[in-house]
Amino acid sequence: MMRKTTSFLIFLLIFWWSSAACGKVYIDINSPGFQKFPVAIPEFKNLGKAGAEDNLSAWFADQLSRSLKITGFFNIISKDAFLENQAGAGITAGEIDFSDWSGIGSDFLVKGGFSYDGKKLAVEFRLFDTIEGKLIAGKKYWGKPEEKKAMVLKFADEILIALTGGTGVFDTKIAFAGRKDNSSEIYTINFDGSDPVKITAYNSLTLLPHWSPDGSEISFTSYKDGNPDCYITNPASGKTKKISSFRGLNLPSSWSSDGRKILLVLSKDGNENIYIKHLDSGKLQRLTNDRAIDVSPAWSPDGRKIAFVSNRSGSPQIFIMDSEGKNIRRLTFEGSYNSSPCWSPDGTRIAYEGSSNGRFQIFSIGENGDNLLQLTFKAGGGESPSWSPDGRYLVFSSKRGGRERIYVINSNGLNPRVLPGIRGVKSFKSPSWSQHLNLY
Amino acid sequence: MKRNLIIVGLMVLICSFSLIFVGGCAKDQAVMGDVELAQIQPSAEETAQAQAQAQAQAEKEAALREQALKEKALEEKLMAEADSFKNIHFSFDKYDLSPEARDILGKLADWMLKYSDFEVTIEGHCDNRGTIAYNLALGERRAGAAKAYLANLGIADARITTISYGEELPADPGQNEAAWAKNRRDHFIVFPKKQ
Repeated sequence: MMRKTTSFLIFLLIFWWSSAACGKVYIDINSPGFQKFPVAIPEFKNLGKAGAEDNLSAWFADQLSRSLKITGFFNIISKDAFLENQAGAGITAGEIDFSDWSGIGSDFLVKGGFSYDGKKLAVEFRLFDTIEGKLIAGKKYWGKPEEKKAMVLKFADEILIALTGGTGVFDTKIAFAGRKDNSSEIYTINFDGSDPVKITAYNSLTLLPHWSPDGSEISFTSYKDGNPDCYITNPASGKTKKISSFRGLNLPSSWSSDGRKILLVLSKDGNENIYIKHLDSGKLQRLTNDRAIDVSPAWSPDGRKIAFVSNRSGSPQIFIMDSEGKNIRRLTFEGSYNSSPCWSPDGTRIAYEGSSNGRFQIFSIGENGDNLLQLTFKAGGGESPSWSPDGRYLVFSSKRGGRERIYVINSNGLNPRVLPGIRGVKSFKSPSWSQHLNLY
Repeated sequence: MKRNLIIVGLMVLICSFSLIFVGGCAKDQAVMGDVELAQIQPSAEETAQAQAQAQAQAEKEAALREQALKEKALEEKLMAEADSFKNIHFSFDKYDLSPEARDILGKLADWMLKYSDFEVTIEGHCDNRGTIAYNLALGERRAGAAKAYLANLGIADARITTISYGEELPADPGQNEAAWAKNRRDHFIVFPKKQ
């Protein structure tokens, strides 16, 4: 899983990277007034032998458009609006008439060219600011033809760094439980919806996947041996171990950031309580000891606090305690049912699902209970939110359109996107977003 | 020599067939047993002995089978009886027992006290509103509430198993109050104690 494929992909900064040098501030994507970056991506120019891989001209433009669109931060200008005569148009600043692009409302322009010598593919990308008529970022990559998507994603990251100050999450995956009839299995899928992989095949109820912080393992609960036991699997090796099988519930929740501890819910003593399982020693440390239901614990990124759900005050609400189980305080007071807390990567906010007018929707709230935001409003609602590792997105399940599917939204609630269906999966549940996996 | 053996075997087979038919309780398995005996003991004297044994065996097996059938019929009758206390229902996000639920549990307890060879598995279920993990816990509580009630009525702990399926196995896949009400349930499965 953690394979670093960049070793064969030689890349080089060959152009002036002006955003770093003159520090132009582009728009803050988290601001409420954020408008998507309008960008035009005309077909790439074949700089090599005519006829060699000509179809790549359109492929590069399409793939980059799709990847940028998926981020939710770009408005891709339609080809129909283009004024530039594309045949023979140049790809460097001196060869471009920027008014052709600023005139159609495209503040940004990506130009690219490639050449293929039968063995190696060389691709160059340039991002321009069309208002000021200057280059913002440029890169050239060499590699095998099958590495072309990796090259596009690499440059998409460069564009995101230049315009938003942070990389994208193209090298992340989302794990979820895929349901068919009376069984469900764990699957993973890339951020952009490509490459779905079935991780388990137990023909049983298998639920609640959670990525380990280094992305090499996934914890989950399965009824495959009759009782809801807790397992950890390594998708790359296929090696799976049972880590908890007390009578009753064995539900895994979040991992500690060093990957050595896991939060568990066990009902072995009659009440559902929260425990830390130390993976090295196998030792169990009990954190809550209440007659109420305590479930869904989630560690803060610094490991000092744990958010969890308890009905100790009557209905399910979110509480926060320290990592020793002390100093319990209630976080949510609005609504009669709040659940599934997930801490933002910067530790300032908690996303959760809460009932609103009889439906469950996604909310986020400051960790001190301030600044409550409702992020989804559709009739299909939202359940089980999980943050992307950069904190810019949330993934959740929703029954919009009848079937439960996985949706991604920007953390301000805008730009919903549904992940594609998978053959043999009828409904999609409890998504978990991985950390960066260095996939390309 | 070998051919003789087969002929004798066939004769034995025919004899035993007719004997059993006279006995009026032909059973396939009994016949199979006779063939094997005949092949091992081909002498006339021993064949007669074998026939007698076979008949005794067949009668014994038939009696056993009849008893098993009777037991099975009884079991089915009991299970059908148990159908009348198969499910109890709950309010949303609740696991306390309603008067109707207590009534049904009372019947189940009476039945289990009467038929002490039976055990019960209590499955706790929820409707699919709310969280998977919380609903697994809620299902656990619902099953636990029924188990505690049965235990109070004198059913031994060892005869009751509980398991929660949360919102994972709805009785009705509908997305409306009627379906949800059906899904918020304890489901009881009675079965004869495993020997």
